[in-house]
Amino acid sequence: MTELLIDPDIRVWVFLPIVLITFLVGIVRHYVSILISTQKKAEITQIQDSQAMIRARLLRENGKYLSAQSFSMRKNYFNSEETGYFKTQKRAPVAQNSSAMLTDMVKGNFINVLPMVVIGGWINWMFSGFVTTKVPFPLTLRFKPMLQRGVELASLDAAWVSSASWYFLNVFGLRSIYTLVLGENNHADQTQAQADAMTGAAMTMPQDPKAAFKAEWEALEITEYHNALKNIDADMLNIVAASDQSE
Amino acid sequence: MSLNYEEMSWSDVRDQFRKWREETGRHSEEVVQLWVAVLEDKVHKTGNERHLILEQVIIAALDTAQFDIATKCTKQLSLEFPGSLRVMKFKAMRYEALEQYDEADDVLDAIIAKDETNAAPRKRKIAILKARGRRVEAIKELNDYLKKFMSDQEAWHELCSMYLAEGEYGKAAFCMEEVLLHNPHSHLIHQRLAEIRYTMGGVENVEAARTYYSQALKLNPHNLRALYGLYLSCNFLANSKTVSSKRKESHKLAQWALEQVSSHTAKQSSIKNNEKLILSLEAALGNMEIKSN
Repeated sequence: MTELLIDPDIRVWVFLPIVLITFLVGIVRHYVSILISTQKKAEITQIQDSQAMIRARLLRENGKYLSAQSFSMRKNYFNSEETGYFKTQKRAPVAQNSSAMLTDMVKGNFINVLPMVVIGGWINWMFSGFVTTKVPFPLTLRFKPMLQRGVELASLDAAWVSSASWYFLNVFGLRSIYTLVLGENNHADQTQAQADAMTGAAMTMPQDPKAAFKAEWEALEITEYHNALKNIDADMLNIVAASDQSE
Repeated sequence: MSLNYEEMSWSDVRDQFRKWREETGRHSEEVVQLWVAVLEDKVHKTGNERHLILEQVIIAALDTAQFDIATKCTKQLSLEFPGSLRVMKFKAMRYEALEQYDEADDVLDAIIAKDETNAAPRKRKIAILKARGRRVEAIKELNDYLKKFMSDQEAWHELCSMYLAEGEYGKAAFCMEEVLLHNPHSHLIHQRLAEIRYTMGGVENVEAARTYYSQALKLNPHNLRALYGLYLSCNFLANSKTVSSKRKESHKLAQWALEQVSSHTAKQSSIKNNEKLILSLEAALGNMEIKSN
């Protein structure tokens, strides 16, 4: 097969513009999201709940250093049937479609999904059908649909990259450049947002306190008290004996 | 530490300030001196770090009662961040330093009204109560605070010292236990808890004290205070009316602790007539032995 020679105009008018456009769109997205995002305001009860959860978790993990009485006193504070914190604190479940949540979601869509569709569509339409570059190593046929979107040529070597695929490579590959330019935790990278959306982590709605309380209550309920300092006297006596022998 | 102010450039001062911030040291006098001598004219060169430096200088200036500097820096910050709650806090702190507690309280109340999740102004209010000598009220306020922010270990620590000042050892022990839950590997906290238990007295508490002293020593064998505490609590137990095997154990431990203490001090002490002091201490132990048998 003869080597393909690509017109230098494709480099100047397709290859570089795609890089530039994706990069600039990311920068703009970063600043727009800073502009329209609102500081999430936590409720005092939310803070109180999360701090109580932390305290309960610490009790589970490090309670072994306390005396039996101190441990059961604290456990009772959280878990007692009548007066326990996890039993008596009734929190209203977080409303799914409160207006604040709704605006948040609309904003998120506005920043992430809309530009993705619009810019992606525009690039597909504007720069469709170009073979832009070649990866410097041979690839198998399976890579063809990934790297040659928009250019369905059966005989073209899989190492060639079409313009549409080049755009997607840029979208997913510019993350480290953004961190370089904008610093950590920037909002330019939409792949992160999409990954979050898929796992549901982006729904930063405060988890249902009732369920969280129940989980923590259960965990604390099955925690048994073990005294970590039970053997400390024997250990000390061993140290004493050892130092006696060495003398 | 002595610093040669004339030879330090502004970037040296910035690095020094940064180091102090990271170590959470106040070094108030040095900070103010360096600020006046070097950094004041160059602060715009430090970029965004400028705000942190200004905050550091404000607190240092309030510490050293140089209110003109504090006011100037607060003005700079409030010009840049108008209406910022964080800057408002510094205004309250200035009133506090001037002992105008009512004004400070008003400012802090305004901050809390605007953002009720902000922990810092609540703590400052408690500090004001403490500064006014109303310790019982401060304890009550701090208890209310801790009901909301229960995993604030510094607050628990503070409550512990306030209870200690009131002589409420049982409650102080509870607070210390709470701090212990946060750092179970700190020998100092084990030691402190042991000290509180020892002070409470009674065989049960002293036994608990011995356990915590032992744990402190296990975590740091060079903790002289814990060694001495172990010696004291073991001596108490050796003279108490418990099972004789336990008494013997305690006696052995006390002996060992005393040996350790004397060997540590002999190694590290810079006191001249150390030998004599140790001899007299040993004589004292001799008396104890007669008593215990």
